[in-house]
Amino acid sequence: MKRAFLVCAAALWVAILLAAPFIGAHEVGLADLVAGDDLAARIVWQLRLPRLLLALLAGGALAVCGAAFQTLFGNPLAEPYTLGVAGGAALGAVLAQQFARAAGLGGVAIVPLASFAGALAASAVIVFVARRRSTATLLLAGVAVALTSSAMILFVQYLADFSRTFRMVRWMMGGLAVVGYDEVLWAAPWVALGAAALFVLRRDLDQLATGEELAASRGVDLARLRLWVVAIVSLMVGALVAVTGPIGFVGLIVPHWVRRGVGYAHAWVLPGAFLTGGAFLALCDLLARRVLAPADLPVGVLTAIVGGPFFLWLLLRDEFR
Amino acid sequence: MTEWLGGTVSFEAGGRSILTDAEIAVGRGESVAIVGINGAGKTTLLRLLANVLAPSRGALALGGVPYADLGARRLARALAYVPQIRPARVPLSVRDVVLLGRYPHNRIWSVGYERRDFDAAARALEVIGSSELADRPMSELSGGERQGVYIAAALAQETECLILDEPTTYLDPGHQRQIARLLRKLTQEEGRTLVFASHDLNLAYALADRVIALAAGRVVATGPTLEVLERERLEALYGAPFHMLEPGAGAFSARPVAAVDLVGEALVAGDRDSR
Repeated sequence: MKRAFLVCAAALWVAILLAAPFIGAHEVGLADLVAGDDLAARIVWQLRLPRLLLALLAGGALAVCGAAFQTLFGNPLAEPYTLGVAGGAALGAVLAQQFARAAGLGGVAIVPLASFAGALAASAVIVFVARRRSTATLLLAGVAVALTSSAMILFVQYLADFSRTFRMVRWMMGGLAVVGYDEVLWAAPWVALGAAALFVLRRDLDQLATGEELAASRGVDLARLRLWVVAIVSLMVGALVAVTGPIGFVGLIVPHWVRRGVGYAHAWVLPGAFLTGGAFLALCDLLARRVLAPADLPVGVLTAIVGGPFFLWLLLRDEFR
Repeated sequence: MTEWLGGTVSFEAGGRSILTDAEIAVGRGESVAIVGINGAGKTTLLRLLANVLAPSRGALALGGVPYADLGARRLARALAYVPQIRPARVPLSVRDVVLLGRYPHNRIWSVGYERRDFDAAARALEVIGSSELADRPMSELSGGERQGVYIAAALAQETECLILDEPTTYLDPGHQRQIARLLRKLTQEEGRTLVFASHDLNLAYALADRVIALAAGRVVATGPTLEVLERERLEALYGAPFHMLEPGAGAFSARPVAAVDLVGEALVAGDRDSR
């Protein structure tokens, strides 16, 4: 069962990787590529493939982060987006975009750095709240962080000029519109590093299922585990948000599907979430490009439309236990 | 008795003193009960022993080596803990919960569980007599079965010492007896060291070689079970009158049994009618 789920997820992932570059508004077939059609090659290699790779990376990373957060906070509704970590990252990135250039810091990778700092700051608030309050308060704290971040982003946008405001709004919707491989190559090492680091912590995460007291008695260093998971998730989310903007609900939905298939052991959940999350976001993006074709609907809008009701369903099902 | 596990510890939380210079000494293979009223510090003492908490002052040692020098992982291979609050809403199967006890033995390079982990889990379930529960989800178990599973998880940890907090609380008399007999088997037949806290004095009579009595965070009495758990001391400790059933005097046990006098007068049908 577990193995079958993982094999299916991997097969789907590979199938999408092979097929998706040939799906889109402009018909491109394998034959066109082989024939050396210049336009076809540009569409596949410069537009569709980088975009697809970014979707697979971002979706996988967000799902892995969501799985880790849900376990760490013992809450099925936790994920970087609902807890405001993505919002914090977005605020950091927006502030950097708006003010760093004015301060003459444009040349450095200041946007990703600021995005990471924002994610870390938001995480710090959440961890502080999680250690002393109930699960309901944790989510409300996440909402507070997210709302504060988005209000401050609106403020920055208000100060910005018209064209920059437009770009910020678009970016805040969460999209994968990239040309070439710069963004993919930027995000890939962080995603790989973060996912590998979380995998190393798989057994410690497993221990949280039967409560912190038992975990501590077996030798899990809970304080260090919290710190590591939050730092890793902040790093991954920060790196991604700087590129794609905040994409919500992938990290919420996908881990629940995966656990249904592979159970609760993180040695299975984390790889399963990476494959399924990537496949899910890539499919969402294909759909998003179709809905208003040839216009390009930001994929974050679509995942939110799917994810909002799912969140509500989880909320009602669990009644804030 | 030579001390194997023990030390003198104090613990404070939020400026309040919970344990003050509490001294505990447990010999290898010994069975020690900790008694005292609610809030006397029993659970805190167990949590310190189980390395869940670190003492504010003082230190504990195992085999003469301080906890800090042993490290959490090596300690967890010597001591297993069964806390009082055992999560009921765990989305795992019985086997998965028992396997979690293998944590201190897991090797970093092995992705999942190894043969020896599955063997240890199967043995542990066999010891508690619940092998047939292995594939059942935890959520379907009764309170008594669940308690057994957490003890099995501690057994799978393959430690010499078990630390149990209120092992029979919330259980019906039949399950209380089952757990008591299981613990006696572990200490008498397998030679494991047992440290447990309980309000169930009869469990202490039945299992403990020695008793440590706590009151307001201090050790007020320590010694062989029958010397500590005698009537005057119980009445002073708990502030309630006790009846003792001595062995042989119409009692059903080779050990004494203490019963608290709950309402202070015999309420039988005739009395009630006459009032």
